[in-house]
Amino acid sequence: MSSQRQASSAAQVPHLSPAELSYLYTSLALPQNPIRPDGRSPTQFRPLSAESNILPGTNGSARIGFADGTQAIVGVKAEVERTVLISDTLDVDQDAETVEGAEESASAATGGHGSWVQMSIEIPGFRDDDALPVFLAEMLRESLVGSVGGNEDNGERHMAGGLKGRLVINKRWHWRLYIDVLLLSQPLSYPLPLLSLTTHLALLSTKLPKLKSTGEEDPFFDDDWAAAEYLYPRSSTINSNPSQQVRPPVTLLVISVGENVIFDPSREEIAVADAVLAISFTRNSDSDTGTDEPLKLLLTQRGIANSETENGNGPDSAAAAEEETPGVWRPRRGGIKRSVLAEMMKTALKKGGVGEEVLAGLEGVEVA
Amino acid sequence: MAITILPPVVEDLGPYQADSDSDDSMSDISDSDVDMDSASRPQKRARTVSKKLGDGVVIPGQVVTDDPQWMRGHGTYINPLSTSIIATVAGNVEKTNKLLSVRPLRARYNPEIGDLVVGRIVEVQSKRWKVDIAAPLLAQLPLSAINLPGGILRRRTSTDELQIRTFFSEGDLVIAEVQSVHQDGSASLHTRSLEYGKLRNGVFLAVTGTGGSKAGSSSKGGSKSSSAVPGAIPGIGGVVRSRRQRWSLIAENGGGEIDVVLGVNGYIFISKHVDNAAAMTNTDSVSHNRMEELVSSTIYSSQNDEIPMQTRREIARLSQSIQVLVQHGVRVDEDTVTKAYRASLQVDIEMGDDDEEEDEGREYLEGSKARQIIEIVLHGK
Repeated sequence: MSSQRQASSAAQVPHLSPAELSYLYTSLALPQNPIRPDGRSPTQFRPLSAESNILPGTNGSARIGFADGTQAIVGVKAEVERTVLISDTLDVDQDAETVEGAEESASAATGGHGSWVQMSIEIPGFRDDDALPVFLAEMLRESLVGSVGGNEDNGERHMAGGLKGRLVINKRWHWRLYIDVLLLSQPLSYPLPLLSLTTHLALLSTKLPKLKSTGEEDPFFDDDWAAAEYLYPRSSTINSNPSQQVRPPVTLLVISVGENVIFDPSREEIAVADAVLAISFTRNSDSDTGTDEPLKLLLTQRGIANSETENGNGPDSAAAAEEETPGVWRPRRGGIKRSVLAEMMKTALKKGGVGEEVLAGLEGVEVA
Repeated sequence: MAITILPPVVEDLGPYQADSDSDDSMSDISDSDVDMDSASRPQKRARTVSKKLGDGVVIPGQVVTDDPQWMRGHGTYINPLSTSIIATVAGNVEKTNKLLSVRPLRARYNPEIGDLVVGRIVEVQSKRWKVDIAAPLLAQLPLSAINLPGGILRRRTSTDELQIRTFFSEGDLVIAEVQSVHQDGSASLHTRSLEYGKLRNGVFLAVTGTGGSKAGSSSKGGSKSSSAVPGAIPGIGGVVRSRRQRWSLIAENGGGEIDVVLGVNGYIFISKHVDNAAAMTNTDSVSHNRMEELVSSTIYSSQNDEIPMQTRREIARLSQSIQVLVQHGVRVDEDTVTKAYRASLQVDIEMGDDDEEEDEGREYLEGSKARQIIEIVLHGK
């Protein structure tokens, strides 16, 4: 039943003909020099238009429009909430995140808790409890709160503990973030990169009112909105290396076709992909390790867009026995080659690679 | 740079009438966020009150005018209790003497007999296919209206019905002609010609715009746009009915011959040119009947021919050229497509020296390249 509904709500998905699929695949799989249907180079993104701070009622917001007409708006709202401390005996069911804010242990009061960030995604044509929005929301949230990683010891700056640590006001109070993502158009291509980029931009523009109270007293804030501080500190101080700053993570979609690695795939390209990978990464703020790596990989997800690919979801295993005829489309089977996977990671995360350029580009969007 | 991030474009939609009626009805809703609006929106979006009726874009429900001297035309509506003309579609206001109509920015294709269309099979039924041709309703393609294999025009048999999927199955692209239009506006197609049938060896793209449904006004708008600034008149792009919907052109850079099919419905297919007749001549001793058989056996194949890299590149360039035309509201026909293609090559040569390292992404036509191409298409002869 549910699959039927998914099918009907995704009825605008064009079913490509075998001849088209074959043409696309062979074009994209050309060694060294794939030819994309829109003439882009493998690492080139479609141009997008972006603006931030567009919603006056939010702490931070952004809008991004892709060239194909898909648009997303993200609003971030923050709320002060009392941190509920419960006795250590309840520590066992810490993973149950169903009761909001009830399961923080004593350590969570200082280190923050993942459930303080709430994310909801609305996609036209999908109910809010459909699999796709729920999955996307959880995926984005996970990389967001997971970005705490290894920079606990980097305590001088007030982004210790990443986003979770930033939300702590004192032992008894914390901020709760509500991130509302709204896809304004029909999802013409898999919406994950768009939603992730918009969320990133909205979080960059998010401001929290300046705290006037100190220590463990009840929080009291500065009325002056101009004095508010960015949730993620901006590079106002020139001497600080921008690459050292904590930034919200970005999730990109990468596909492989043959030996080629292709970024920002369109829907048709996803349809013929051998493997679809979502790569979440952020700036490597860990200055102590002194690594060359400017970016830190947070999580990868394989085959996330399986419903969109024509590859590897056919039931006929007997087809593998058939021999390949040139010019005829046959769904590919089997996994992804190690070398291709390594190449994907390298292109995305290396110094001066695609990931760094994306982060730099988003940083350049002016906060109005 | 892998990624380009542009500032948002505030589109100046042109003057449109301020009306007191809709303001009143909306005031209770919009009261609360009036001050937000004025703070965040640029002044440009503020209502420009103009006494004369502008050519601006109106949205459904908007009062175009309440002057009783106008007659209502297509795309408008008059409430029986008032004299004000209300738009029912989003589009440009058009005046013909005292007739006021709204030409939609986007409309679905309205089939007419004899149109050459490109369609995609969405459903296979026992004796016919249902085809998506971007019309409000799916078109039907009866089994009796295709070229059946095994010689010239014969009656369909039960065997054909059983193996209906060997001709076309879901997802296949067909080029067909509208044979008849039914009462409800749905179309019946036929492919009873060797020029029609299954499409392969290329790429498909769908363009938006008003398509062929407004062929008369589109061609008029097109001539108007050629004298104006590019991009100034939105919503007149799309494929229009013209003399030739299907032709082949010789591509540059060793691309060989490329076929372009512009379906009147806005579906376009660009493919490598395959010469059926040439393939036949090497088997010279075949009889006429045998030849027919050969033709029809290849007609329903989904197997692509060997397509060289250069051809694929030029096909991608051609499809980009068409996209550029559509984005800038220029109508798409043989003339403009050919011009845009030549222009893209020309722009490429000019810009090629500047950025050596971006060699790979050169076929991507966006931004300044697109503007130059449009400039050349519209003004350069």
